Amino acid sequence: MTARQQPFSAAVTGLGMVTAAGVGAKATWHSVTEDRVPGGVSRQDELADLPCDFMYTVRDLDPGAVLGVATQRLMDRFSQLAVIAAREAVADAGLEPETWDSSRIAVVIGSAHGGLPFYDQQHAAMTQRGARRVSPKLAPLTVVNGAASSVCMDLGVHGPSFGVATACSSGTVALGTAHQLLRAGVCDIAIAGGAESTVSRLLIASACQMKAVSTRREDPAAACRPFDAERDGFVVGEGAGLLVLERPEHARARGATVRAHVCGYGASSDAYAPVAPDPDGKGIERALRTAMADAEVTAGDVGYVNAHGTSTVVNDLVEATVLERVLGSHPLVTSTKAMTGHTLGAAGGIETALTVLALEHQLAPPTANLEVPDPRIPIEIVREQARPAAFHCAVKTSLGFGGHNAALVLTRG
Amino acid sequence: MKAAEVVNDLLVQRFGVAMAEIRHETPLRNLRMDSLALEELRVLIEDRLDIDLDEVALTSRDTVGALVAAVDGKVAA
Repeated sequence: MTARQQPFSAAVTGLGMVTAAGVGAKATWHSVTEDRVPGGVSRQDELADLPCDFMYTVRDLDPGAVLGVATQRLMDRFSQLAVIAAREAVADAGLEPETWDSSRIAVVIGSAHGGLPFYDQQHAAMTQRGARRVSPKLAPLTVVNGAASSVCMDLGVHGPSFGVATACSSGTVALGTAHQLLRAGVCDIAIAGGAESTVSRLLIASACQMKAVSTRREDPAAACRPFDAERDGFVVGEGAGLLVLERPEHARARGATVRAHVCGYGASSDAYAPVAPDPDGKGIERALRTAMADAEVTAGDVGYVNAHGTSTVVNDLVEATVLERVLGSHPLVTSTKAMTGHTLGAAGGIETALTVLALEHQLAPPTANLEVPDPRIPIEIVREQARPAAFHCAVKTSLGFGGHNAALVLTRG
Repeated sequence: MKAAEVVNDLLVQRFGVAMAEIRHETPLRNLRMDSLALEELRVLIEDRLDIDLDEVALTSRDTVGALVAAVDGKVAA
């Protein structure tokens, strides 16, 4: 028999988001709930000859202007997005890095690929112009933990920090790990979530070969269409989503506004295949049931699910089948990826932040681009427009290449 | 382009150093140029001027003037 931990609710006191849907949590939420057509997807010159020549990118942001050249040069883009999101989350939480007890703060940030674009550039420099033209910054800028270390240096955090790499569930696993650190008393505050930027010809070329990404070149804005009968793959995006989590007594003592609670976490491994999920969904089901048991909630308590919903044929069918099997058909279910793109390791951070906002606003965002639901999908998916509803409890699910599954349970603040 | 112009331009554009901070006698470490930054600067100078600075031994304790002189020596050579 597995030993159960005492129930523990981490207070969510701050949100930060930088996404293709908007720079900042408010802008992203507004776009996800109000815009009908994704504005952040565009063709990329360096992908012009590939079957998928488009992706979601962050617009209206000059990291050099925000961070300064001296700071920006020490990070690849995924770390820059993480730092900008972390600054927003910390300010949103009302925390002041000048006065906090920095040894009691942790940073846990997920990323699937780290600084892959810099790898791509430097490999090109070496093959085209020789080994003497390779940057000495390759290792420090490309390691997956680069986002976490960059946030520590920028904000002056001296507690534990590390990266989490479980492919597309990295952000969710980072938040679950932060929940466990707080529960164990390792820290009072955790800045956690995910960051990713993979504007990389190398990665997209491989994703095309894998037949994992959409090839709807004639209409990129309609390419990511989770749960739709005509879906044909995911569309890569960049972004960062970070949350400030706190031990509840710490948040209470400083009079912080608690925006939601993370009260349950579950993770599992398919042990099945490098890419495809277990077709029966046993892995994601195990993660979801574990998270619900951890939070001591039942299916009837769950009112909203922000699904992984990648827009691949297999993921959406397996995931929806599991949601119906575990939760029934009553929760409102959406995927927000048609507005943000599939941000891989950042997805769990961004989508958990959106789940917090859904709980606050009592509003389920729609699934953009979902026009004709796949008849094999056994549950109704929210589409066309955001749906107001009363719900106290929400779930975030994530599945990663390699069979890394994760789920979080959140409740209202 | 003279060595001093290239060094100054790279320090400002690529390392975020203010032009007013760059003086002949200023140690490089005072411009927040640590050992990694110096290696990065070396690659950029070599690329810009098509020279080889591998034999030039400079540390962040050396001055901007010493760096410029070393680059000048290689350009002249």
